[in-house]
Amino acid sequence: MANISIDAIKKNTYDAIVIGSGISGGWAAKELCENGLKTLVLERGRDVKHIEDYPTANKHPWEFEHRGQVPLAVREAYGSIRSFMREETLHWAIKPDEQPFVQEKPFSWTRGYHVGGKSLLWARQTQRWSDFDFEGPARDGYAVDWPIRYADIAPWYSHVEKFAGISGNKDGLPHLPDGEFLPPIELNCVEQHLQGVLAQNYTDRQLIQGRCAHLTSPQAVHLQQGRGKCQHRNLCNRGCPLGGYFSANASTLPAAAKTGKMTLRPHSVVHSIIFDAKKDKASGVRIVDANTGEMIEYFAKIIFVNAGAVNSNLILLNSISTRYPTGLGNDSGLLGKYFACHNYRGKASAQVEGFQDKTTSGKNPSNGYIPRFRNVQKQEMDFLRGYSIGVGAGRWSGSNREGIGEDLKNQLLHPPLGNWGISAWMQGETVPIESNHLRLHTELKDKYGIPQLITSVAWTENDDKMVKDFQEQVEEMFTKAGFKNINANDSHSNPGSDIHEMGGVRMGKDPKTSLLNEWNQLHSCKNVFVSDGACMTSTGTQNPSLTYMAITARAANYAVSALKKREL
Amino acid sequence: MHRRKSIQNIALLAGGLLALPNWAKAWSLDSLPMVGKPLNPAAENTLAQIIETIIPESDTKGAKSLGVPAFVNTMLADCYERKVVENVEKGLAVVEKLATQRYQQSFANLTTPQKEQLLLSLEKETDSNLKDFYSLIKNLTIQGYTSSEYVQTTFLKYEMAPGHYYGCVSI
Repeated sequence: MANISIDAIKKNTYDAIVIGSGISGGWAAKELCENGLKTLVLERGRDVKHIEDYPTANKHPWEFEHRGQVPLAVREAYGSIRSFMREETLHWAIKPDEQPFVQEKPFSWTRGYHVGGKSLLWARQTQRWSDFDFEGPARDGYAVDWPIRYADIAPWYSHVEKFAGISGNKDGLPHLPDGEFLPPIELNCVEQHLQGVLAQNYTDRQLIQGRCAHLTSPQAVHLQQGRGKCQHRNLCNRGCPLGGYFSANASTLPAAAKTGKMTLRPHSVVHSIIFDAKKDKASGVRIVDANTGEMIEYFAKIIFVNAGAVNSNLILLNSISTRYPTGLGNDSGLLGKYFACHNYRGKASAQVEGFQDKTTSGKNPSNGYIPRFRNVQKQEMDFLRGYSIGVGAGRWSGSNREGIGEDLKNQLLHPPLGNWGISAWMQGETVPIESNHLRLHTELKDKYGIPQLITSVAWTENDDKMVKDFQEQVEEMFTKAGFKNINANDSHSNPGSDIHEMGGVRMGKDPKTSLLNEWNQLHSCKNVFVSDGACMTSTGTQNPSLTYMAITARAANYAVSALKKREL
Repeated sequence: MHRRKSIQNIALLAGGLLALPNWAKAWSLDSLPMVGKPLNPAAENTLAQIIETIIPESDTKGAKSLGVPAFVNTMLADCYERKVVENVEKGLAVVEKLATQRYQQSFANLTTPQKEQLLLSLEKETDSNLKDFYSLIKNLTIQGYTSSEYVQTTFLKYEMAPGHYYGCVSI
C-alpha cells in the first residue's frame, strides 16, 4: 500500500461516498448532500453535463449522415456490443475492451457508463409496488421475506415522485397504488377501446394509462430544478435539453451540486471497498483512475453502493479481506446469488380494423399498461407470480411504394393514413433461484486489473409457462377486442434483455439468508448501504427504477440519522 | 474518399491514435470482408440516372436536386457489405446492357418512358439478385428523398417538438 501522508488522507476524506451517479446514485447524492454531508460521487465513465453533453438532442433526421444506421466499419469496432447502435445514440455505447465479461449462459447486459448512467436512457415507466409484491416471497414460498412492507416505503415513493415528476391517472387499484401524479398522458382511441373491452369482459384486469416520469405539467419544484414541460419529442434517449423527463443529470445531480457538498469524480472505476478490521467497518473505497490507471483511495464514514445491480455485486465480491474472504458482508455465502431479471420474452401484435375517421396528434412518450392480474389474490396458476403488459397502438402511414416517376413521387409526398395497429409486450416477475448467480473469474481480469465477472443466469420452467400464458391471454383479449392477424409469440430473448437486473445482495430479516437489513445496510458492516437493483429480494412486475429511487432516499435519510446518533 | 473517412473514424475510435488498439490487432480494414466500398465512376453515373428516374424533378423537387444520389452512394459505401455493393455494380451493368439491347443507347440517352419501362421490368425479374439490386436502390432512393429537409418540412409535416399528444382526434 502506498505511503500516503496525513494531509493526503485528509484531502481524500469525505463524510460519505456514493458509488455510481445513475438513477439511484443520484438520489443518494442529493439526499446526503442536502443533509449536509460532504459527499464524493464516483462514476466510472465520463462526465455528461445536462444539455451541454447531449450532442444529438436537437439534430433533425436529415442531419444524420446515414439516417441513423451505424456504418459497418464503426460497428465492427464495437464487436458484440449491441446497445445504442444508432447514430443518434452511439456516444452512449461502450467499447468491447471496457469491461469484458464471461457469459456462462447467454446474458444481455446493457451498461450506461457515464455520469447519469441509464437514467438518461430508461423507458421512464414508473409504478409503485404494493404489499401484494412485498408479501410475495412469504406467501408463495420463494426467495426470503422482505424486511419491509409498503407502509415503510409509501412516504418515500411520495418523496421521490414529487421531485422527479410522475405523470399518471389515479386508478384506485390495490395492487398498483396511486402516486403523487401530474396529469396523465392520454390513451388513444384503440387503447381506449381495448380498455372498454377489458372492463366489459373481465373482473380481474384493466388497461390503464402507463405512469411515467414525464413533466406533463411542471410544478414549482421542477421549475426550480431548471426543468420544463415535456414537449413530446420522443427523442428521450439522446438526453433531453428541457429536462422533460427525470434523469440524474437534469434533476438529482444538480440538486446535490447546488448544496456545495458534492464532489463528482468521473473516470473513477471502483475496484473494492476498503475494510478496516480494527474498527470492524468499511473505511473507504479504492478506485482505478480510468485515464491514468492509478489506484487511489478515498475515505468516508458511510458508503452507498449504487453502481448498478451487476456492478454492485462485482464490487462487493472483489472487496476481499481476512474478515470477508469471499466478499464484503458475505457471511451468508449468498453474495451474487439469487440474481434475477424480468421476463420480456412475450411479444404480440395485431392489426386493427376500423377507427378510420380517427387519428392521433403529436407524439406519445408513454404507453398503456395492464397491471399484473395472475395470482394476485391467491396462487392459482400452474406458475408462480405473474406479468404486467405494456400496450401501444398507433396509426401508420399508408404510403404506397409501387410504381415509378411522378406517380411514385406524388404517393410519397401525399401519403394517406394507413390502418391502426397494436402491440403488447410482457414484463414477467421471475422467481430468484440460487443457481442464477454472478461470481468473479479466478484468472481473467479487465484492463483496470479488476477480475472479470461471470454471469450465470438462465430461464426456468416457471418463466416458460408464464410466457405461454401471456400468449394465450393476449390472443384472448385481442380477439375479444376484434383485432385481426393476432401474433403472440415467445421471442426467446436472453435474460438481461429487459435491462432490469436485480438481486445478488438481497434484503432480508435473517443475516444467514440475506445480505442487507431493512435499511439496506450490510448486516455485518452497517456503514455500507446497497440500494440499487442489487438489493431486490424479489422482482415484482413493475418497472423497478421508481422503487430503487424510493428505497435509496429512505436508506440515505436513515444513514444520515444513524450518523447523527453516532451509530455509524 | 469514403474509405479514407472510414479509416479516420476507426482511428478516432482507437483514441486518436493511428495505431489500432490491442484488442483489434488482428484486423485491418482490408481484412474485413464485410465493409463496403464506393462504386466505380461509370456505375455511379448510371446510378444517378436511375435515382432521378425513380423520383424525377417537376414542379416539386426530385431526388437529384435533393442530393439523393450522394446519400445512396454514402449508404452503399458505408453501411452495406461488400458483396451487396458488388451486386449493385452487376445490376447497374445489366441496366446498361439492357438499354443497349433494347434501344441501342446508353441508359442516360433513353427517353423518360423508356427508362421507366426498363426499371419497372426489373421489379418483375425472376433473377433474385437483379430484383434485390433494384429493390435496394429504390428503397434507398425513397429513404433519402422522404427524409430530406425539403420533403419532411414541406409535405410530411415534420415537427421536432409537437408539444402535445392527443390520442383520439377526428380527421
